[in-house]
Amino acid sequence: MSSGRHDRIGGLLEEYALGQLRPEQQAEVDLHLRDCPTCAQALREINEALALLAETSPAVEPPASLKARVLASLTEEREEPRRAHTTVETRSGLQQWPWLAAAAALLVGIGLAAMLYRSESHNRVLSQDVQRATAEATNLRERLQRFSSQTDLALSILTAADMRELSLAGRENAVAAAARAYWSPTRGLLVVADRLPAPPPGRIYQVWVIESGQPVSAGLLGNQSEGRGMLVAPPPRQGTGIAVTVAVTDEPPGGLAAPSGTIRLAGSI
Amino acid sequence: MLQGEAATTIDLHLINRVAGGERDAIAELYDRHGARVYALAHRILGNSTDAEDVVQDVFSQAWRKAATYRADRGSVVAWLLVITRTRALDRVRARKPSEQREQRLDDCDSPALASKAAPPADELIAREEADRVRAAVMQLPLDQRQALELAYFDGLSQTEIAAKLQTPLGTVKTRIRTALATLRRSFHA
Repeated sequence: MSSGRHDRIGGLLEEYALGQLRPEQQAEVDLHLRDCPTCAQALREINEALALLAETSPAVEPPASLKARVLASLTEEREEPRRAHTTVETRSGLQQWPWLAAAAALLVGIGLAAMLYRSESHNRVLSQDVQRATAEATNLRERLQRFSSQTDLALSILTAADMRELSLAGRENAVAAAARAYWSPTRGLLVVADRLPAPPPGRIYQVWVIESGQPVSAGLLGNQSEGRGMLVAPPPRQGTGIAVTVAVTDEPPGGLAAPSGTIRLAGSI
Repeated sequence: MLQGEAATTIDLHLINRVAGGERDAIAELYDRHGARVYALAHRILGNSTDAEDVVQDVFSQAWRKAATYRADRGSVVAWLLVITRTRALDRVRARKPSEQREQRLDDCDSPALASKAAPPADELIAREEADRVRAAVMQLPLDQRQALELAYFDGLSQTEIAAKLQTPLGTVKTRIRTALATLRRSFHA
C-alpha cells in the first residue's frame, strides 16, 4: 500500500468512526483497514475515545422492567459466521458442541449403514470406523471439559478479591509483545499474550511464578497461534504470596522443573 | 480508560458466550452495560420511550450479531455504544421535523430523578470513573467539545457543523480531530 494512500485514509478515520463518510469512501477505508494494523489500532483508539464521550451522558437509570423486555425480545435468529478476532481464546462449552454433534451424526450414520450391509467384511470395516468415530467423540468431549474448566478457573481468578494485574514487558525478540498476568495467590494465574514471536525451533514457552528468587513452573503457554498465547493455572505452590514475579522463558518441549532458557516476558508486583 | 483490562476480558468472554447462544450471557451483558446504553440513547433521543426501544434494539442486535464482533476494532462496550448511537440517530432522522424539537425537550420523565438506595461499591467505583472521564471531556476547549458533541450526539456532518457554527469546514475538522486525539491520550493515561 502506498504511504500517500495510507496518510489520506488515516485522515478519514475520525469521520469513518462518526459515520460521516460517503458509502464509497467508507468502503475504501474498510478495505484499507484489513491490511493496515496501524490504522486499525488508530480506529480502535478513536472508538474508545468516542465511548468515553458517550460516558458523559447524564446518568439515567433504565426502568427495572426493561431487562425482562429485552430478554423476551431475543429471537433464535443468529448471524454467521462466527467472529475470528479476540485477543484471548476463551471458548465456551457450547461452541464446541457442533463438533460433538458432527461426531454423533457420524456415529448414527455409521450405525445405520452397518444394519444395511450384512457381509462380515463390511461389518469389520464399519466396526473399525465406529471405533475411530467413538474415539474422536471421546477426545472432543475431553477437550470440551478441559476448555470449560479452564474458563471457570479464569473467571474465578479475574473475580478473586486478592487478584492483582501486572504487565509483562517483552524482552529480546519479544519487545513488541503485549502481555498481562492476573495473579491471585488463592485462585491461580492467568496469562494472556499478543504479538508474541514464535518460540525458537524445537522450543516452547513456559511460565514461571518467582517468589524470593525461587521459580516454580505454572505450566506451558498454550494456543500459540497468530502470536497469541494463554495460560490458566491454579497456584503453582501453596502459600505463595501476592508479591511475585511472573516470567516466560523458552524451554525444550514439555518444559523443565527449573528455567534454563531466555526470558522473553517478565513483570513483577 | 472506560474499564480495566480485567473487565475487558470478562466482556470478551461474555460476548463469546453470547455468540454461542447463551441467554445467561446476554443477560449478564445487559447487567454490565444496559445502563450505559440507555443513558446514551436517552441523551440522543431525549425521552424514555424511544430510549427503551433503542436499548431493546441494541441488545437484540448484539444477540444476533455477536459472531460478527471484531475485538480489533474496539472493546465490547465501544461496540455496544456504536450500535446505540447508530440506532438512536436513525430514530432521530426518522422523526418528522416538527417532532424533533419537541421530543428533545421532553426530558422530564426520567426515572433517574427517583431516589435510590445506597449504591454498591462497584457502582461507586464506576461512578468515580465516569466522573474522571467527564472531567477529561470538560477540560477540552469549548469550541472543540462543541464540534465533537454536535457530531457525536446530534449526528451532524462536518459540513452541517460548519454551517451551524459559522466556522470554516477545515476548522471544524481540526477541532474534532484534536478533541479526539486529546481523549485518546486520556484513554491511555
